[in-house]
Amino acid sequence: MTTRLTPLALSITTVGAWGLVLAVFSGRAELVVVVVPVLLALLVTARAPATPDWSIAHAISSARVFEGERVMVTVTVVAGEPVALLELFEPLPSGLRVVSGHNRGLFTLARGQRVEWKYEVECVRRGRVSLGTMHARCWDRAGLHAGETAMCAPWQLRVYPSVLPLRRLPGPRRTQSSVGNYVAPAVGEGIEPGDIRAFVPGDRIRHVNWRASLRFRRLFVTQYHLERNADVILMLDTLAEAGAAPDTTVDASIRAAAALATAYLARKDRVGLIEYCGPFRWVRPDSGRAHHERLLEALLRADVMFSYVTQEVALVPRRVLPPQALVIAISPLLDARFEKAVVDLAARGFDVAVLSPSPIPLVRRARRASTSVDLACRLWTLERTARAEALRRLGIAIVEWDPAEPLQAALVGLTGARRRRAAAR
Amino acid sequence: MRHLTAMLACALVGYPLLIAPATSVLTLGVVALALCGLGVLLGMPLVVGGAVVALGEYALALWLAGSPPRLVGAALFGVGVTVLLQTADFGWRARRATLGPGVVASQIRYWALFGAVAGATALVAIGVASAASASVRVPWAPALATVGAALALVAVAFAVRRPER
Repeated sequence: MTTRLTPLALSITTVGAWGLVLAVFSGRAELVVVVVPVLLALLVTARAPATPDWSIAHAISSARVFEGERVMVTVTVVAGEPVALLELFEPLPSGLRVVSGHNRGLFTLARGQRVEWKYEVECVRRGRVSLGTMHARCWDRAGLHAGETAMCAPWQLRVYPSVLPLRRLPGPRRTQSSVGNYVAPAVGEGIEPGDIRAFVPGDRIRHVNWRASLRFRRLFVTQYHLERNADVILMLDTLAEAGAAPDTTVDASIRAAAALATAYLARKDRVGLIEYCGPFRWVRPDSGRAHHERLLEALLRADVMFSYVTQEVALVPRRVLPPQALVIAISPLLDARFEKAVVDLAARGFDVAVLSPSPIPLVRRARRASTSVDLACRLWTLERTARAEALRRLGIAIVEWDPAEPLQAALVGLTGARRRRAAAR
Repeated sequence: MRHLTAMLACALVGYPLLIAPATSVLTLGVVALALCGLGVLLGMPLVVGGAVVALGEYALALWLAGSPPRLVGAALFGVGVTVLLQTADFGWRARRATLGPGVVASQIRYWALFGAVAGATALVAIGVASAASASVRVPWAPALATVGAALALVAVAFAVRRPER
């Protein structure tokens, strides 16, 4: 423990000195008497302070939360020896915000006393938060002397990106072989009626289409479309970001990816994730709750990482990027390398759609309003429009999303754009 | 804690006015009170400034009044100045912090005890000084007082100086 005199000791010494100076110059005994308590207070600090003996323990109400949720932090302080005044301070990272109570506390502890101190934090930004370094300061009662130390009682909090509710999703052009929620072009066992054909031995009686059979005086059976799932690959652009935390384009992209992953997995689709940060980082497509956790963990790690490496899409293995998959690229289109990768995918015949969280409103919110900012944003809008148009000309459906607006609205636009593009073909 | 600091500041500023109700004393008192008030809101250095001005106001009041020594009042004034600085500092430390059970009560108990001990010490010092002055006649008394004051301060500085560990 590092001990030191506090600024208050210097202040009291100054006042005492000033009193003595006044006493000498005025020749009044009262001023000397005034200084006696001041000097006594200073002399009290000359006593060697007792070595404090205490311990702390941390507990949090939940170790895994989503953005916007709250966590109650409980700190338990146990004193082995009496502590006159113990000040504890736990610095919090920018992703956490205190909403009730304080992350600083002052305690007076008797021997063996146990004190619980609680405060509530709101998790404003996704990430893995490691905390537990508690700065402690032991004051004497007069506040003239303080000993400082830091204690470590580690605790970790995982803040997953918030999952926005989605009801309608862009449908895939091609389906896979497993059972799912999409009506496949192929006929077989299903509930969606497809074609009618003549009865052949082996057909089930309950598939006989009686209306057609009576009309043509021959047996006909109804064929049904298969219901299949799809592979959806979410391709995340973490090459660059714009805006101020916790509302950067990467944050918005990750929230969109979490929402899309959750919604597609709920429809029994296989969902994969490719993070493009120069090199590729990926999660193979799969389905189920465990895979949902895996995807959220991967999104927790996703962040902008500077790298000189720029890998080609061709390097992504086939098992990570299945040929018939729907690729939803989530990118603010700030880096030309990502656009090149998207164009490359489209050229290879992938069903690609681009959801572009617009950086302009995020940057505008982070900057003070001025005419130059307005002009820059207008020019930036024009440039983004031109880039989006260039992608559209290559047959890629693209929709811009203002992160302040609901994601569902943007996805409806994306579905419409894909439908128009399919009709044009 | 702000209330306690404000009450102490008012008492310290008001006491010299009882000794010498003059415009100059009142002016200094207002300045001292304003500094203490601002200090409670803005920071400790202003409170220290207020205490220094209040001490000046007290000295001015004594000089203007020219009355016989009021030593008990002086002891209380000294206790008041010390506790004012300590309460203001504690108020700043306790700002935006969770206070554990019994923190404020134990601090108030400490200040009350400190006030009693410091007041008693001052009264004992007054008694010893009075007895000594009655029995011993020292030549060059003002010079000796000055040297004594300087020595007292140096002694305090040495007493409180402790290397960081």
